[in-house]
Amino acid sequence: MRFRFCGDLDCPDWVLAEISTLARVSSVKMKLLCVQVIKDLLDEGIDYEKVSKLTSDAKFESGDVKASIGVLSFILSSAAKHDVDGESLSSELQQLGLPKEHTTGLCKSYEDKHNALQEKLRESSLRLGHLEAVNWRVDYTLSSSELKEVNEPTVQLRLQAQNPETDSIETTVVSITADKFRVLLTELKQAQAIMNSLQ
Amino acid sequence: MLLVLSDDHKDHLCFLSEVDPAVVSEFGRIAVEFLKKGSNPKIYEGAARKLNVSSETVQHGVEGLMYLLTESSKLMISEVDFQDSVLVLGFSEELNKLLLQLYLENKKEIRQILSNLSPNLPHYHNLEWRLDVQLASRALRHQVKPTVTLKLHLEDGGMCRAHVLQTDPATLQHLIQEMERALADLKSNHCRRILRNIK
Repeated sequence: MRFRFCGDLDCPDWVLAEISTLARVSSVKMKLLCVQVIKDLLDEGIDYEKVSKLTSDAKFESGDVKASIGVLSFILSSAAKHDVDGESLSSELQQLGLPKEHTTGLCKSYEDKHNALQEKLRESSLRLGHLEAVNWRVDYTLSSSELKEVNEPTVQLRLQAQNPETDSIETTVVSITADKFRVLLTELKQAQAIMNSLQ
Repeated sequence: MLLVLSDDHKDHLCFLSEVDPAVVSEFGRIAVEFLKKGSNPKIYEGAARKLNVSSETVQHGVEGLMYLLTESSKLMISEVDFQDSVLVLGFSEELNKLLLQLYLENKKEIRQILSNLSPNLPHYHNLEWRLDVQLASRALRHQVKPTVTLKLHLEDGGMCRAHVLQTDPATLQHLIQEMERALADLKSNHCRRILRNIK
């Protein structure tokens, strides 16, 4: 059976198994659990105390608590990843055996935070070595040991970029003469024009 | 399969028969803690003062217990074999039962800790990917070149390293086919025969 929220693939077996675990909590507690899991997905921190209080009524062991958080994270992030709307998600989850009230609660939380989840996923998409900061300075060389009157402007550029393999910030400093800098600027402006034409 | 204890080991464990069973169960608990988190010499001194013996005797007793537990868990000896092996030490019935209880309760966890001690190759930790299309470069405009960028996170004994790789879709397809072929090999008759014999 193909499900949209799984990206038009089969639903993983563990998700099927844990949906029956989820059905053991009441629908109200399930909605609060969803809120906590969404907070975790948005990196706002999850309150494990609250989660254990919510699941204590259904007598969840620690394995069950982990499983229910896992399956909720998977369903919500997968649905946001494949841009599934609330209605389809609701019908697919009911097909998998999640009771109607639980599904309604889950989909309501999902729809509320749909955009925020997608933004967060967009931000955490793979990016290699992104530019953190650019600092520049224009100098005017008057004279040097080689030539008495130099009279040349130069640009000093300091680029702070992230190393893609170690995720640490590396600083590169370059000094550019006026001509080379003009070439650099023209090329970059052309690239910017192409980027703008795409948007 | 019987566990053969060396004379030194027997001497060290002799100390346990001279103290209360309650103390032995406390030592058992300390031994398991040390196996999980590493030893803490200060505890030996506290216990030695309370029991009026040298801290070295306490240390030998606890380490003897730890060794007994790890050897038994390593060889996965049955209850009967464990009891027979411990009989050699000449402990009281109660002490024997206590040691058996300690072994049975912690066997699984100790085996898990032991399994982490074997040497390891760097193994898979996480894979991030991104699908890009190159539209233009400084040298050539109006291109359409799809590429897949991968960031493979590997873990090697606690250290995480990330490898950044790039491939075109055709190579990626080939990679996927090869790996699926490897997985399918598991289901071949040859592999099945071997797996059946191991089980």
